[in-house]
Amino acid sequence: MEVPTQPLLRLRDLSTDIALRRGAVQALDHVNLEVRQGETLGIVGESGSGKTMTVLSIMGLLPTGGRVVGGEILFDGRDLRGLEAQELRRVRGVEMGMVFQDPLTSLNPTMRIGAQVAEPLRVHQGVGKAEARERAIEILRRVGMPRPDKIVDDYPHQLSGGMRQRVVIAMALIRSPRLLIADEPTTALDVTTQRQILELIDDLREEFKMAVILVTHDLGVIAGRADRVAVMYAGRVVETATTAELFRAPRHRYTEALMRALPESAESGRLYSIPGLPPDLSRPLTGCRFAPRCGFATDECRTTDVTLTGDAHAFACLHPVTDRATIAPSAAREPSASGAAKPILTVRDLVKEYDAGGAGLRRTAARVSAVAGVSFEVKAGETLGIVGESGCGKSTVGRLVAGLEPPTSGEIVVDGADVTTLDRAARHRMHRQVQLMFQDSYAAMNPRMRIDSILTEPLEIQRVGDSGARRARVSELLDQVGLPRRALERYPHEFSGGQLQRIGLARSLALRPRLIVADEPVSALDVSVQAQVLNLMRDLQRDLGLSYVFISHDLSVVDYMADRIGVMYLGKLVEVGPAHQVVRAARHPYTQALLDAVPTPDPGRTADAGSAIRGELPSAVNPPTGCRFRTRCPLAQDVCATEPPLAGGTHQVACHFPLRQEAAAGA
Amino acid sequence: MTRYLLARLGQALVIVILVTLITFVILHLLPGGAARAILGKEATLQQIASFNHEMGYDRPLWEQYALYLRRLVGGDLGYSFQLNQSVAEAINQRLPKTMLLSLGSTLIAVVVAVPLGVIQAVRRNRWPDYTINGLSLLAYATPIFFMGLMMIILFSQVWPVLPPEAPQGFTMAEVLAEPAGLVLPTLTLAILTVAVYSRYIRSSMVDNLNENYVRTARSKGLAESRVIVGHTLRNGLFPVITLLGMYLPALFSGALVVERLFNYPGMGLLFWQAALKRDYPILLGVTLLISVATVAGALVADVLYAAVDPRVRLKAARS
Repeated sequence: MEVPTQPLLRLRDLSTDIALRRGAVQALDHVNLEVRQGETLGIVGESGSGKTMTVLSIMGLLPTGGRVVGGEILFDGRDLRGLEAQELRRVRGVEMGMVFQDPLTSLNPTMRIGAQVAEPLRVHQGVGKAEARERAIEILRRVGMPRPDKIVDDYPHQLSGGMRQRVVIAMALIRSPRLLIADEPTTALDVTTQRQILELIDDLREEFKMAVILVTHDLGVIAGRADRVAVMYAGRVVETATTAELFRAPRHRYTEALMRALPESAESGRLYSIPGLPPDLSRPLTGCRFAPRCGFATDECRTTDVTLTGDAHAFACLHPVTDRATIAPSAAREPSASGAAKPILTVRDLVKEYDAGGAGLRRTAARVSAVAGVSFEVKAGETLGIVGESGCGKSTVGRLVAGLEPPTSGEIVVDGADVTTLDRAARHRMHRQVQLMFQDSYAAMNPRMRIDSILTEPLEIQRVGDSGARRARVSELLDQVGLPRRALERYPHEFSGGQLQRIGLARSLALRPRLIVADEPVSALDVSVQAQVLNLMRDLQRDLGLSYVFISHDLSVVDYMADRIGVMYLGKLVEVGPAHQVVRAARHPYTQALLDAVPTPDPGRTADAGSAIRGELPSAVNPPTGCRFRTRCPLAQDVCATEPPLAGGTHQVACHFPLRQEAAAGA
Repeated sequence: MTRYLLARLGQALVIVILVTLITFVILHLLPGGAARAILGKEATLQQIASFNHEMGYDRPLWEQYALYLRRLVGGDLGYSFQLNQSVAEAINQRLPKTMLLSLGSTLIAVVVAVPLGVIQAVRRNRWPDYTINGLSLLAYATPIFFMGLMMIILFSQVWPVLPPEAPQGFTMAEVLAEPAGLVLPTLTLAILTVAVYSRYIRSSMVDNLNENYVRTARSKGLAESRVIVGHTLRNGLFPVITLLGMYLPALFSGALVVERLFNYPGMGLLFWQAALKRDYPILLGVTLLISVATVAGALVADVLYAAVDPRVRLKAARS
């Protein structure tokens, strides 16, 4: 692609502070970046790295207390900091467009889609009501919205997540901006929708000749979509290079560590995890900000201010990576040697239906079919991964197995006893065997209880030991999850996300369960912290002989963690088998589409466009008959209207036209 | 939408019937029965017997209740022997006066409180916010009789521009003929209401201004005034609907303290006098009226919500 020499946007020594009650956080420290027309710049970093603050500074949308304190924001040669308020609003409203992370909260809930999308036109170009509506329909059609002439009069809550994000994109594009800023545009979306949205942004960039800034924490997303990448850490750009160059040969030690922490690059069954936490930016810092967590740091790193050097491939590191790191998707863990082990959990024909609405006295006939006849086994010491997109029923399966909700029908056999037929007291005791670990541990803990009480509570409820024994058990738990004893005195809000996840794990371990149902345990964590938690979970499994049901939307994490994987679609288990076979030789078309949609941190790999699934997940109120995937399946035939059974040996699939035959046993 | 309305209306009706049942039971639990309560302690047994027969109080309970309901439907709330007029008539005389006072003060309060709350939210933690906050806290904490007294002292003693007493006219026309007399009671009530409302509006607007959709609106390069009026205000005013719904019963029950202070013959005064004289028919009649108003207030708030918030509308349409 031909790239004009003059950058459209150039940040020169941009510094931004956020005022606190006392002092200030130095959110950005001398950030230098540029982006040219027709080019996509990826900004990648973990939470708190300043990537979002950078784009908010450009857009002038800093949160309360936030202020640009130094440097220049040169847009088309003019410094935005010097512009008058009215002109600045015009530039922001006409020449720039921004796509936000959470499409639900980013739209006004009480304003019609059309009015929101066309508002920039009405304000900046004085377009009339009727014309604005026409233009809104036109741009909605352009971003691939089905039935745009109807959607235009709808309200945001009537749309799905993917459709809402299309609306946000349409809103940014209707002004034909020269710069499009997308801040984690797909983080809240499922992988198949993510793929559709990222492809849309790519297409539109070419069509409108825009410059795009793509902000994300996901190295996979960056690898597939950006021309150049800037890696940020603790308010600074630490490395910038073309995407291919960066992924082929990262130079900064932080970039390298970030890539090694990905589940895809697990080498010998253990993930590399970055020790420690990012620095506190409200205190003055000297030297390289990554030095305290870096294995290669010397005294020089801690004392001299390391600046970004180099032209095409710039990095701020005194001891850069010299050997070429290979980031290749590696084989997952060796299958655990529990082939003949007894199942700890057996689920047979599990069904869960909810009433759809039906307020008051009159029950409506419509029922949501959340889980529709799911059967599987988990053996002792084994991890079963359950993957699927939101709404597929995977979390419901987790809650049913953990005994939080009664199933509509079916059996859940834990350790030989069917939980659904147990009396209250027996079910109470069953909770000792099966425990749940949550995605958002902070929300799952009482904020007014100290860690001490949080960990002791399960023991008290189950009347385990006396108070001395409980104290000893709680200390033991802290040791197991690698937290200091001091933690007992503190409250949940004093801990970081990764630490909270450790505490959550400790709480589920308190009763010495044999099975832990972990529902998206690492989804809210940064890559480096995610690695710590995943490692811990595997260590504990080895030491304590635990079984896990590991529920996640993230295939690479499940691939790393699980011995076997079950894939769910709309309440059905469509495929189940050994992890490496499901991920590398998928038999169900849905599994294949899911795998193809996952962005991989490998710029060379291009996704096969043919396997992409289109459209939206059907409603679970009236799910399609027969194979539930047939409405979106590229291979669907008439016979798919009859339900395919889950069939096969160790690698089972529920499909009339499986993509491949089962691999020979033991392969 | 219609189905939702019908369902809510049905619920409201059930509650109202329950309320009538309770007032009916109370009427029968009165010491010596309704007859003793109405005719007084000196009534002879014969008088009581004939009264009971006349009122149907010697018939079976369910028949009496049916009779009671039929009278209620016909607008007959009972007869006050002490006022020597029917309860409906007594209420009829005073209710319009009370409504004039309450509606006037509420209207003023909303008109003043909305901009105040918005200014506070926009200038949060700066001097306009602190000033308004301090004043409204003061108004909120001041007992209403003291507030009324201060108003009388200020505006009819120190600076005698307004009469200290409300209009004493018997009919509405007579009351309306002296608008000056209505100013002080209306204002006294309004000040308190402003204090309550502006605090709600401030916190609701603050919450909404922190929402992501406001950031989206700003990203379109809208002027701040358009961001606030065009995007935030509508969502920020939802709590006011709840407040207004909760306030509806007060429109009917009247503001006892203010009516007493300014000697304004409204519902509050009626209820107070009835309580002093143990005028049970009046007390129960007014109670019933206020109960119905409470139910109606909740209903009105729900309907208003459905009208302004599309999310409620959809949920209703689905159910």
